[in-house]
Amino acid sequence: MSTTYDLAVIGGGVHGSTCALFAARGGMKVALIERGPLCREASGVNAGTLTMQMTRVALIPYALRAHAMWANASEWLGHDVGVVVCDGLSLAFTEQEEELLSFRAGKRREAGAPIELISGADALRVEPGISDKVRLAGYCKVDGYANAYLTGLAFRRALLGAGVDLMENTPASGIDREESGFAVKTATGVVRAKRVVLAGGVWIEPMLGWLGIDLPIKTLINQLVVTERVRPVMRTVVGIANGLLSLKQYPHGTVVIGGGWQGIGDRERGGVELMPDRIVGNVRLACHAIPELKDARVARAWAGLEAETADALPAAGPIPGIPDAYVCGSVHSGYTSGPYIARLLADRILGHEPALPLFPIDRLLNSGDAERGPQ
Amino acid sequence: MAQETDGRPVVTISVDGAPLEARAGEMLTTALARSGLLRLRQSPRNGAPRGAFCHMGVCQECALHVDGAVRQACLTPVRAGMAVERRGVL
Amino acid sequence: MSHDVIILGAGPAGANAALAAAETGLKVALFDQQPEAGGQVWRAPLPGLALPASPEKAGGDALRARLAASSVDLRLGRTVWSVGAHFRLDALGPDGNETVEAPRLIAATGAHERVVPFPGWTLPGVIGLAAATVLLKSHGALPGQRVVVAGCGPLLAAVATGIVKMGGTVVAIVDLAGPGDWLRLLPALATQPRLLARGAGWALKLGGKRVPVHFRHGVRAALGADAVARVRLAPVDAQGAFTAGPEITLEADALTVGHGLVPGNELPRLFRTEQTFDRRRGGFVPVLDAFGRTSLDGLYACGDGAGLRGVLVAEAAGQLAGLACAHDAGALTAAAFAERTKAPAAAAAQARPFSDAMAGMMALRPAQVAAIPPETVVCRCEDVTRAEIEAAYDDGARDLNQMKQFTRCGMGPCQGRFCGDVAGEILAAKVGSREKVGTYTARPPLRPVPLADLMGSFDYGDIPIPRPAPL
Ligand SMILES: Cc1cc2nc3c(=O)[nH]c(=O)nc-3n(C[C@H](O)[C@H](O)[C@H](O)COP(=O)(O)OP(=O)(O)OC[C@H]3O[C@@H](n4cnc5c(N)ncnc54)[C@H](O)[C@@H]3O)c2cc1C
Repeated sequence: MSTTYDLAVIGGGVHGSTCALFAARGGMKVALIERGPLCREASGVNAGTLTMQMTRVALIPYALRAHAMWANASEWLGHDVGVVVCDGLSLAFTEQEEELLSFRAGKRREAGAPIELISGADALRVEPGISDKVRLAGYCKVDGYANAYLTGLAFRRALLGAGVDLMENTPASGIDREESGFAVKTATGVVRAKRVVLAGGVWIEPMLGWLGIDLPIKTLINQLVVTERVRPVMRTVVGIANGLLSLKQYPHGTVVIGGGWQGIGDRERGGVELMPDRIVGNVRLACHAIPELKDARVARAWAGLEAETADALPAAGPIPGIPDAYVCGSVHSGYTSGPYIARLLADRILGHEPALPLFPIDRLLNSGDAERGPQ
Repeated sequence: MAQETDGRPVVTISVDGAPLEARAGEMLTTALARSGLLRLRQSPRNGAPRGAFCHMGVCQECALHVDGAVRQACLTPVRAGMAVERRGVL
Repeated sequence: MSHDVIILGAGPAGANAALAAAETGLKVALFDQQPEAGGQVWRAPLPGLALPASPEKAGGDALRARLAASSVDLRLGRTVWSVGAHFRLDALGPDGNETVEAPRLIAATGAHERVVPFPGWTLPGVIGLAAATVLLKSHGALPGQRVVVAGCGPLLAAVATGIVKMGGTVVAIVDLAGPGDWLRLLPALATQPRLLARGAGWALKLGGKRVPVHFRHGVRAALGADAVARVRLAPVDAQGAFTAGPEITLEADALTVGHGLVPGNELPRLFRTEQTFDRRRGGFVPVLDAFGRTSLDGLYACGDGAGLRGVLVAEAAGQLAGLACAHDAGALTAAAFAERTKAPAAAAAQARPFSDAMAGMMALRPAQVAAIPPETVVCRCEDVTRAEIEAAYDDGARDLNQMKQFTRCGMGPCQGRFCGDVAGEILAAKVGSREKVGTYTARPPLRPVPLADLMGSFDYGDIPIPRPAPL
């Protein structure tokens, strides 16, 4: 019989990878089991925005710490994911949007995000690329972006360096509870571990099902558009008041246009199709914000899957009724906050008190289920 | 390098601000090549010269600005007065 | 639904599919990026150009006349950028975005050129062989005054002849194959006597001009500062690998070079239909039944985009796919379908030995890929070299998409069309097979589209902005 790991993490997105990395650095023997290549789902195809202005209020304290982690990725991750820290603007073009922005920015500021409201004219000084139709802007110095498609490469190197047993292209299909822990069934055999973390992104719902836990997870199908390389048209991260635009230009010249416009797909098939009308809507919004963008061409568009719980707050903590089993994911704007929240969970697994509270899923299970537990 | 027997009218276009004679209706790539303008862009990382390559609208090496919009020269017939700008390194 | 069938690609396959379907009474929309039907092989000359008569021009004119007389809704000069399930197609045309819908879609998107990289292949003045055919038969232009014509397959002779006819100089023909390889194909070629006679015609004309032919040679490098000025050749073996032997350097102001074609199979890939790797057919091709039905209900494919078979098979396959659509739409009884498909099926079968022989000459030679020097750019759009692709393998990339994420190879505006096949071969040499390495995931838009064209004119207030995310 092969080794029993201290910890098996199932799902190699930003949550699973970070959790595995810190657990291994904390001295545990860790296996990371990933169905495909590392970080090729949400964590490799997302827009890479590291912003407070789209983060849920309750997550702001986490996002601020996570932003600091990304900004120092060279220290803990050790490999480049193209992080650029820059100013961020959230724009309002109408009176209604001004109201929405003032309210939302105010709430986020109360939670600790250093967002100021500035006039359209001042916003133009911060970002000469924006339209002169801006009436009001939320201005935040803690903003920026990463190059999401480099996430897998960076974590791969870091995880191997930390001694994690990386099992890519290895789908897990179930978990048996055993006396000494868990037996994770995979396509290539059983992996035994004293503890498990389920970090399957939108697939945490079926994963929790393996343990008899019923936690509905909604699947969002986010569309993204990227242009070919163009001359510099902007230098900040730009969004709009209601959060349905995210825009930035990478140093190599491409502009990524996102904001959560929905395509067609599901957990079983992935993001299968984009809605042309919504591509057009998103592009119009982008060009309304940054007029010079209209000279660029769309090189590619795609859709990725993002997980959402019933209250749109994370599922990150111990699984009730099953000692040594944990879940980690469904974090809104989870690329930004994911590393910090996953690190908190690793702390907890290593027996340390997390610096900020986790998000246990008890609140989301109806009490009958929670009592009954598995089997 | 168009054929001698070409009966199409000669018109003037501008390329990077300078006037250039071309034949109405010929492909922009042809007009540019006749004047020795083979380099249509520079590659992103090496800054190496690039020119029209597939001539059927696929490779994108001949993309440039025509009257402000990105167009492929191999799919763009010459019109009198069109303003062409090469894109340089992107 | 605005139509019964949408067809993408108006070459011999797509146009014949359109005609066959329309004749049964179906309402057909036929889309192409080019302003005239004919595809690459039957490309129409630009308006105002009086080009000498040729079989290609005659074939194209006949086809265009038939289309004009038919009920087919011709949507030419359209850039199709989005194709959605069952089936909605969005295209940018002269009046902005247009949308059509139909329960059936035929992909007839043809092929694009394969050029196996060598040092200097990115220099201006180096163009594809198929590219040269477009210049000659449609643009009425020469690739240069002194042209080296290199690569493999029947386009070598066609391009050299065209250049000579138009008054240019062919410095040399450089053929990866040897005379023996061509001779071995004679029995297959003899099944198409008309084409064989044309081939002999090429040989004669070229002979009259005394064009040197370097058999069993490949291009080692194209040299020059801002444009190609010299071409260096070296002998190759039967597999296409360079062998020790004297190199030859030629002065030239243009090099046209092509190593076969790659099927433009992005529609079936977009819909994730079953595909298979078939080296002779140019690479990954959709799995089809005898009439062009893919594994997805309502989606059909025909012509070179479904696997390289050449123009004769493309015409027949187009008719078969058009008839299959008609049958599946209930416009043809089973008996009528069986009757009408007989002739095109027989034509396709008859053309097969010839098309197999030609496809065989143009299939990718792995030894040629193995000979690409490490510092040579493979992805033209993003300047990614062979060495960088191999470094991605060393870093754990085991499939094309992962390699793409590690390197940006294939992320540029050609959308991976020019690097995908060769990059796949480079990675496959390490991973073990092309099947494991796979293809780049097909993504919309089908062609890069300017944001300005896409967005059209609009009022901010009319943008259907979704509900805000929770706070
Ligand atoms: C298009 C898009 C844009 C986004 N933009 C942003 C943004 O700009 N900023 C931001 O902060 N957030 C953004 N997000 C959100 C962010 O990407 C996600 O919150 C985050 O990446 C989720 O990470 P994860 O590790 O939970 O999930 P994932 O990255 O999806 O990882 C889950 C992993 O589990 C694996 N898995 C599933 N089933 C199994 C199995 N049976 N066995 C083994 N492995 C399995 C999957 O293959 C996958 O790799 C975006 C999301 C999307 C989809």
